[in-house]
Amino acid sequence: MDHPFIRIENLSYTYNAQTDAPIPALRQINLTIARGEYLSIVGHNGSGKSTLAKCLNGLLIPTEGEVLIDGQPTRNEDALIPIRTQVGMVFQNPDNQFVTTVVEDEVAFGPENLGVPRDELRRRVDDALIATHLWEWRKHSPRHLSAGQKARLAIAATLAMAPDCLVLDESTAMLDPVSRRNVLALLQTLHQDGLAIVAITHFMEEVVPADRVIVMERGQIALQGTPRDVFAQHETLDRLGLNLPPAAAIARGLRQRGIDLPPGLLTTQELVRHLTQGKGAGA
Amino acid sequence: MASYDALRHLAIGQYIPAESPIHRLDPRAKLVATGLLILVVVVITGYLTNLLMLGLVLGLVLVARLSPRYILASIVPALPVIIVLALLQLLFYSGGSESTVRVLLTWGPVRITNAGVRMVIVSLMRFVDLVFLTSLLTNTTTTGALTHGMESLLRPLSTIGLPGHELALTGAIALRFLPILGEQLESIGQAQASRGVSHQAQSRWRLVRNARQLAALIVPLFVDVYRRSEEMVMAMQARCYQGGKGRTHLNELRFTGADYVALAASALLLAVAIIAQRVGIW
Amino acid sequence: MTVIAELQDIRHVYLSNTPLATVALQGAALSVHQGEIAALVGPSGAGKSTLLHFLNGLLRPRATGHVCVFDQDTGDPHSDIVALRQQVGLVFQYPHQQLFERFVGDDIAYGPRQQGHSHEQVTETVRWAMQTVGLDFETFVDRHTFSLSGGEMRRAALAGVLAMRPQLLVLDEATAGLDPRGRREIHHLLRHLRDEEGITILLVSNDMDEVAELADRVTVLHEGQTVMQGLTREVFADRQRLAAHDLDLPAAGEIVHALREGGLAVDLGAITVAEAEEAIWQAMTR
Repeated sequence: MDHPFIRIENLSYTYNAQTDAPIPALRQINLTIARGEYLSIVGHNGSGKSTLAKCLNGLLIPTEGEVLIDGQPTRNEDALIPIRTQVGMVFQNPDNQFVTTVVEDEVAFGPENLGVPRDELRRRVDDALIATHLWEWRKHSPRHLSAGQKARLAIAATLAMAPDCLVLDESTAMLDPVSRRNVLALLQTLHQDGLAIVAITHFMEEVVPADRVIVMERGQIALQGTPRDVFAQHETLDRLGLNLPPAAAIARGLRQRGIDLPPGLLTTQELVRHLTQGKGAGA
Repeated sequence: MASYDALRHLAIGQYIPAESPIHRLDPRAKLVATGLLILVVVVITGYLTNLLMLGLVLGLVLVARLSPRYILASIVPALPVIIVLALLQLLFYSGGSESTVRVLLTWGPVRITNAGVRMVIVSLMRFVDLVFLTSLLTNTTTTGALTHGMESLLRPLSTIGLPGHELALTGAIALRFLPILGEQLESIGQAQASRGVSHQAQSRWRLVRNARQLAALIVPLFVDVYRRSEEMVMAMQARCYQGGKGRTHLNELRFTGADYVALAASALLLAVAIIAQRVGIW
Repeated sequence: MTVIAELQDIRHVYLSNTPLATVALQGAALSVHQGEIAALVGPSGAGKSTLLHFLNGLLRPRATGHVCVFDQDTGDPHSDIVALRQQVGLVFQYPHQQLFERFVGDDIAYGPRQQGHSHEQVTETVRWAMQTVGLDFETFVDRHTFSLSGGEMRRAALAGVLAMRPQLLVLDEATAGLDPRGRREIHHLLRHLRDEEGITILLVSNDMDEVAELADRVTVLHEGQTVMQGLTREVFADRQRLAAHDLDLPAAGEIVHALREGGLAVDLGAITVAEAEEAIWQAMTR
């Protein structure tokens, strides 16, 4: 069987569809996500990113079109449990996701719901806690955790379900920069271990490690491609009101002054490499 | 702003970790024992029995390494209401069906009887007992253990359709959110105060004014609660919650000797209390 | 520049005398000068929000500490806190904690109504406040408060505080969670308020880029104590010390340092993207 892991066909979603004040949020989205792919979705508030995320695990059912996870449509109610074990979701505010008052109980909640037998349960909980560096805190109350640790706990709780894909709906938005970095490093490790990641964010720096980026605007995909390709499209990004990551913004300015730098330059390391090798190259 | 961190100070519902024989008891034993002890409190009506019971409950609180002062502090915001009710009872209760009612004082419609006095004092003692007993349960048991225990006890009823786990989980989540909502209430109060709502110089005794201001605080709190519960439902769905059926547990519950002792002692106490009431020992 | 707010040696413990006591502040200090945009930064949990509560009397110094805001000593029980709360407008982190009236117009009007202004004055003030934050009066005045989008609620909350005509506007993480466009709009608004309306601004922020762009002076809080204070550039010049307090430089600053370490003789000191670009250009064409 050779179908993509996640396939989205002509997806449209309208809030309050049957009322006299419908709000269209997604229009005719077509997208595939491969196993193990790291996809970043960016866009302004109201562009439909969050709605798209919730369509990926059947929390929202398409108004039109289909979302197929491993061949199973999310419209099929009987398929929802298997779909949700394959596609795990982490939300923005950890406090509103936590159901228990002990860290390890929280991580166990998901697999407990699935009836996972006790030995396997213990193993999954321990693995998830170790992966998210929360092992020492396993008997504590989530209330004692810092904001960054809470975000990692939310991820651990989803990891324990053994998903193939992790969807993060702006999980770093309310974090301080250090915690944000830790979460991103965690995501990269998970990705290297084979997990597909769909990360929704409006921090442009977070997009850099992704395999692919999608820029959403008013319910549609406005731009798509590798981070390099997308960030090279300066005019479109300007029009959409989106920033470049800082190194790319600096490179753009230098290029305009005549210094020779590749158009897809994204990271600080690349900037250092190019500027300290050929010193004085340009003009 | 003192009145608004009342919920944050609530001893009821907050797990306070410690090492004590009571902390170590199985939650099912604790739930049943608490129920039995509450029945005891309901049953006894005399000075002596209530004094003994109060002493026992206080003793249990100390064994659990909890601070009676901290627990009592959580009643303080409710004090005005309690005192008003007590006063009404004192002034108007005329002794019901007892044969030895003696009137102590009359003044117009007001009649203070010895039965009234006893009722007020006993009621106050009972109230304190209940506060201590509920704190004893919730301060020594994590909400996870409580949920597990409650669900386990309710499981036999699932054959007649009672959703035990859902109920237990709902209760646990509600308890868990009390301090969070307390903080929210505090923030809301502070935000309103910052815009000129004067909560200043309000003593606890200006009941009507406090009630109106409380109403202005409740609206944003309700909106907040609603928003949070929407998110929580989505998160639970995402983690495949399907009710109690087929759920396994990370930490199994197991009865030990101490649990049987606690249950037996509570049942015995209830029996003794009923007998004492019958026989007339007060 | 005159100092309009001075806090010294501020201490605070939450839930003191209970088993859940936590120390929030243990010797924090802050000063705000007339007409500036000042920033309060620090890792999460440093006590920033708590310190803000001392500025308008929500918290008052008890045994230790001294607070003087607009010439009012809040440690003095006879100080006029009501007046202070009109002069110091505190905007909380989450707009839905601040809004409580059913209709947007009523909520924004709350402050001026409390102050006892006439109906015409109140309407005029509400109109001005809404226009300043970018909420069209006709469209939004009769909307249900809790039906607004997140961004609109934020503006409404800000308008409600502006309607009190404060001289010092204090914002607790005003842009946390906003998208880049929203953040730019708030920055633009703050500069407008400082330049056109003469309002002094204090912001609490986690975002070093934002601080670099907006703030004249920065105070750094760590574990309840003030560890650094001074002009923005001075504070950002000490990268090592900031790192010791779990804080980064603004992105542009980090980039410039990385280039220097890589061998480029670039001036350190750039804190915005534009400055970094200029500094690099200078270094490359020397």
